[in-house]
Amino acid sequence: MAKQYDVLFRLLLIGDSGVGKTCLLCRFTDNEFHPSHISTIGVDFKMKTIEVDGIKVRIQIWDTAGQERYQTITKQYYRRAQGIFLVYDITSERSYQHIMKWASDVDEYAPDGVQKILIGNKADEEQKRQVGKNQGMKLAEEYGMDFFETSACTNYNIKESFTRLTELVLMAHKRELEGLRMSSADELNLAELEDDGSKSDGMANSSKSCWC
Amino acid sequence: MDQSFAIQDTLEKGDTCLVAVQGILVSPYTNESRLVGLVKNRETLAIFLYKHRRMAICADDVSLDEIIPLAEGVIIQQVMPAEGFYVIGTDVTLRIKSLDIDIVMQLPFGSHTQEFLRRVNQPIQEGLPAFPSQQFVWLRKYWQRNIPSVNSLFLNNMNYEEERQLSGLDINLVSDLEADKMAMNGQWIKANERVDPSRSPQMSVRHNKTTFTDLVRSADVLSANKAEMVPFTKFGLRDNLIKSELLKNEDTYISIQNYRFFVGTYNVNGQSPRESLQTWLSQDSEPPDLYCIGFQELDLSKEAFFFNDTPKEEEWFKAVSDGLHPEAKYAKIKLIRLVGIMLLLYVKKELAVHVSEVEAETVGTGIMGRMGNKGGVAIRFRFHNTHLCIVNSHLAAHVDEFERRNQDFREICSRMQFAQADPTLSPLTIHKHDVVLWLGDLNYRLKDIELEKVKKLIDSRDYKTLHKFDQLKQQIDGKAVFEGFTEGEIMFQPTYKYDPGTDEWDTSEKCRTPAWCDRVLWKGKHITQLEYRSHMALKTSDHKPVSSLFDIGVKVVNEELYKKTFEEIVRCLDKMENDCIPSAALSQREFHFKDVKYRQLQVQTFTIHNDGQVACQFEFIRKLDEESYSKPWLRANPSKGFLTPGSSMQIELEVFVNNQTAAALNAAEEKIEDILILHLDRGKDFFLSVTGNYLHSCFGSSIQMLCYMNGYMRDTSEETITQLAQMPLQMKDNFLGAEKPAKIPKELWMMVDHLYRNASQQEDLFQQPGLMSEFEAIRDCLDSGYPESLPGSNHSVVEALLLFLEALPEPVICYQSYQKCLESIGDYSSSKEVVSMLPLHHKNVFKYLISFLQEMLNNSEKNHLDIKILASIFGNLLLRPPPDLPKPSNSDKRRCQEFVQQFLQPEDP
Ligand SMILES: Nc1nc2c(ncn2[C@@H]2O[C@H](COP(=O)(O)OP(=O)(O)O)[C@@H](O)[C@H]2O)c(=O)[nH]1
Ligand SMILES: [Mg+2]
Repeated sequence: MAKQYDVLFRLLLIGDSGVGKTCLLCRFTDNEFHPSHISTIGVDFKMKTIEVDGIKVRIQIWDTAGQERYQTITKQYYRRAQGIFLVYDITSERSYQHIMKWASDVDEYAPDGVQKILIGNKADEEQKRQVGKNQGMKLAEEYGMDFFETSACTNYNIKESFTRLTELVLMAHKRELEGLRMSSADELNLAELEDDGSKSDGMANSSKSCWC
Repeated sequence: MDQSFAIQDTLEKGDTCLVAVQGILVSPYTNESRLVGLVKNRETLAIFLYKHRRMAICADDVSLDEIIPLAEGVIIQQVMPAEGFYVIGTDVTLRIKSLDIDIVMQLPFGSHTQEFLRRVNQPIQEGLPAFPSQQFVWLRKYWQRNIPSVNSLFLNNMNYEEERQLSGLDINLVSDLEADKMAMNGQWIKANERVDPSRSPQMSVRHNKTTFTDLVRSADVLSANKAEMVPFTKFGLRDNLIKSELLKNEDTYISIQNYRFFVGTYNVNGQSPRESLQTWLSQDSEPPDLYCIGFQELDLSKEAFFFNDTPKEEEWFKAVSDGLHPEAKYAKIKLIRLVGIMLLLYVKKELAVHVSEVEAETVGTGIMGRMGNKGGVAIRFRFHNTHLCIVNSHLAAHVDEFERRNQDFREICSRMQFAQADPTLSPLTIHKHDVVLWLGDLNYRLKDIELEKVKKLIDSRDYKTLHKFDQLKQQIDGKAVFEGFTEGEIMFQPTYKYDPGTDEWDTSEKCRTPAWCDRVLWKGKHITQLEYRSHMALKTSDHKPVSSLFDIGVKVVNEELYKKTFEEIVRCLDKMENDCIPSAALSQREFHFKDVKYRQLQVQTFTIHNDGQVACQFEFIRKLDEESYSKPWLRANPSKGFLTPGSSMQIELEVFVNNQTAAALNAAEEKIEDILILHLDRGKDFFLSVTGNYLHSCFGSSIQMLCYMNGYMRDTSEETITQLAQMPLQMKDNFLGAEKPAKIPKELWMMVDHLYRNASQQEDLFQQPGLMSEFEAIRDCLDSGYPESLPGSNHSVVEALLLFLEALPEPVICYQSYQKCLESIGDYSSSKEVVSMLPLHHKNVFKYLISFLQEMLNNSEKNHLDIKILASIFGNLLLRPPPDLPKPSNSDKRRCQEFVQQFLQPEDP
C-alpha cells in the first residue's frame, strides 16, 4: 500500500547538443518520441513519479542546453542536482570525447556526493555506430559510473537507466530516508503484534496468551 | 487505544512500559496533552511523560518530556476537584511532586487510569527506594537524550533542600513540615484523606520546562537535509488525491471474496462461565474466519461499575478462547470493555495479516448519560480493503422504555468516534464503514400482548405472529431506530427470561414476559446471513446466547491490478502536474545588433506568449557571480511581468552605449555579447543570446590612443586598437614601433578648430544644446573621416566636444593628479606645476583647450561668454575624481572650477 510520504529530488541531463537528452526525457515522462531536433535553449524540466523499493519517489528531471556557448550558464544548475546523466551519442565519436569535459565540469560544479551515470544514446543506430559499447563501458569504469546504452527511439533501457540513477541517489541518502521510513509505520502487522506478549494491550490482559 | 506500545518503542532493552494513559498536563498557561507511562527496570519504576502526536503508534510519534523516578521524595496526590466532592466516572486529577517537578495531571476516567493508579500506588505502599541511588542509573540514558535540567541535577547529586530553595517555586499544597515528612517516605495521599478546597490544582506552578516542541522535532529532520540536498517534502494533497482516485477506481483492482463471520451475543447476568461455550461458538462444521463475540452484564458488582475493573473479563475471555472452533487457530485482534459490556474480536491466525487499522472505543449511556452500565463498545478495523465496524450494545431496560432504547442507539451512533491515522481527517463514525454488524442485548420487549398468548405462540412455534408484537420490529418499521439495518427472520424462541440453570421461563415474582432481547443486525453490501439462532444448551444466565453466521463479501485487493491502477493514477497526476508547469513561447531567442554606435539606441522586440495552462510570471534573472541580469549596455523592458494563460507581451531589448560602457568597448576589452536568462517562476529558464558588432569611436577612447592612431577609428583594425589600448599612460616619446604620434588627438583638433574658425562669435555658445541627429553625424565624421568637414551647427559641435571630454576614460587631468590639483588651488604656480607633470598628450590637450577657451573669451562681447561659465563647464570635465572615490561634493566641484579658472584669468603681464 502507498506510504504516507514522498521523496523529491532532481536529476540533470547533460551532454553535447543533439545526443538525445530531450528525447530521453520525453520518452521517460510521456513515453513519446519526436524525431525532429529542436535544440533546447535554456533549461527545462518535467516531473515523474516512480516507485523504488516501496518508496514513492518524485523526480524533477532537468534538461539542459548542450551548446558550447551556454555551458558557462548551464553549469550553475549543476549544484542543484542529486543525480546527473552524462549523455553521448554512439554515432558521434566527438560527443563521446566531450564526456571528459562534461565530467570535469560536474566535478567542479556539482555538489559532493552527486550520483552520476553514463549514457550512450541512439543504440538503435547500429549501422552508424562510431563508439563501441566497450568504449563506453571502459570510460564509465574509469569514472566509477554505471553505464547504459539506450535508445529513446525504440524505448530501450530508458526506464532502467532512470530507475538506476534514482536508486543510486536513494542509496546515497539512505540515512535521511531511514528516518522517514521509521516515522511512517502506518501499518502494523497484527500477527507480529499479538505474538509478542510485551507489546500487546498494557492492561490486565497483557499476560494472556492470544493463541487459542 | 492502548498507547503503551508507542512508549515501549522509545525504551531501551530491559525497560518495560507497564501501562500508559493519555492525560492532560494542567498548567497556569495552557493545558497540554501528555502520554503518561509507567516504566519499569528491574525493581525500580519511573513515570515518563511524553509529548505526542494525536495517534501515537511508534517512537516517532512521541517525545520524552519529563521523567519522574518513583523514589523517596515523590508525592503523588489525588486532588479534589474545586466543588469538593468526588464524582465517580469523572476524570482523576493527580498532583505529582518530586525534587524538581510539581505538576498536575488530569487522567480520564477509565480502565487505563485505574490500572495506572493501582500500579503506581503499589510500590509507594511498599516503600520507595532512596534517590539518587545506583538503582536509578538506568534513567540516565533517557535524561541524557534530551532533558538537560534534570540530568545535571542527577549528576551533581544536588540536595533536595537546596533545590527547593533555589527553585523558589514551591507553592505548596501541603504545609512544608508535612511535606518534608511525607517526602521522607514518599506517600500516596488519597483524595478522601485530604480535603482542602483552597489548595486547588490551578495554583500549581510547573517549572523545569524543557522546550522540546514539535517544531524542534521537525527541524531535526530538516537539518539532516542540508539546504539544497534531497528536499524531502510531504505532499499531503497529492497523497490524498491518489487515495481518493484509488478509491474511485477500486473496482478495477478488487474482487469480492466471501469470509465467514460468527457473530455472537450473550447477556451473562453477572455470572462466571461454568459451562463450555462450544455449544454456542463451535456448532458449525466449518470453522468461521472471524469471531465477533459480545457480552453484556459481565459483572454487576459495584467495583466493576465504579472502577471498570473486573476479574470477569479474564474469565470470559478465557472461556471464549477455549470455546472457539477447534479446527482452526485464532488470533485475538482486540478486546474492549466498558463495565459489563465486552466485545471480543478474533481472526484466523493466517488471516491476521489482512487485518489493520484496528481501533476500539466505548460510549456510556447509563446514569448521567455517561456511565458504563449501559451503552456500547465498538471495534473498527480494516479486513483486506473493507472497513468494518462491530458494535456491541446494551440498551436501556424495562418494557416501556423503548424510546430510551432508541435514544441510546442514537447516542452510540453519534458519540462513537474513531480517530484516524491522519489527524487532519475528521474522526470516523459507525456509519462511515462498509459493513456494520450490530449485536447486543438491545432490550426491546414484546408489547401489547398477554403472557399466556406469548407462551402459546412460542409453544406453537409461531414466531412470525409473535414477531409482530416485537418492539424492535415496530420501531424499525416506524423508522425510529436502526435505519438502514437489516435483521434476519427470527426462527428461535425468545432468549429472555429464563430461570438460571434451566430452560424454564421466569418464575420469579416479576414473572417477566419472554422477549427477544438479544439480537444481531447488519448493514452493508455483500452480506448473507446463513444462520440466526439461539443456543438453548447454555444455562448459566437468565438469557440464552444468540449467534448469527454470515458470509460477508470482502474487498480483496489484487496486488498486480492494484499496482497497475496505482501507476496509472500516478501517471495521470504526473501529466497533470507537468501540464501545470508554467510554460511560455518566445517569438525569438537570438538577437543580433548590427553596427552599434556610441550613444545610439538600438531596440529589438520579441513576444512572450503564455502557451501553458496556468498563469506565469517571468523575470530576467542574474547569472551566477554577476550583479545584474545583463551587461550594462543592455536592458530588457519590461524585465519582469505576469501573463495569464493565452496572453502575450512585447519585450524590448535595448542596447545603448554610454560614457560608462564606451571605454571598454572601444578598447575592445568588451564585446556586444551577452546571454540573458529569462526565468519562468516554478518553470523553465530560457537563454536569450544577444550578439552584435560595435563601431569603435573616438568617444570613449583615450587621448593617448587617439594620438597614436593614424587613421580614423572605424578604419583601424581590432588588433591595433587592442595594442594601443594596452599602452602605458606615461609614455616616452620614442615608443617602439610607433609612428610619431600626433600632439593632440586629431578628432579633438577637428572639433576645436571648427569652433575656432566658425563659432568664436556665436551667441549662447556652450549654453544652447545641440541636436541629437547632428551629433550622430559629427560622431560618424570624426570616426570615419567623412565628410571632410564637420557637419551640424556650432552648438552640436560644442555638444560633441563636451561629450568627447566626458567620455574620456582618463580625464585630461589624470585621476592620479586630481587630488594634487585640488590642493594647489590658490597657488597658480603650483597648479601650473601639476599640469606640467601630466603625461605629454594630456598636457598638450589641456594647454590646447585653455588657449582655445581664452580665445573664445576674447570675443566675449559677441558670444557673451565669461570666465565663470567656462570654468564651471570645463572644471568638471577636465577634472574628475578617480572612480574609486565617491562622487565629488559641491565644494569639490567648485574647487575644480576654481582650478580651471586660474588658467583662464588673463595673465599678469
Ligand atoms: N535514432 C535515434 N535518434 C535519436 C535518439 N534520441 C534522439 N534522437 C534524435 O537526435 C536528435 C537530437 O535529439 P535531442 O533530444 O533534441 O537532443 P539534445 O540536444 O541532446 O536534447 C533528434 O533529431 C532526435 O530525433 C535515439 O535514441 N535514436
Ligand atoms: Mg535538447
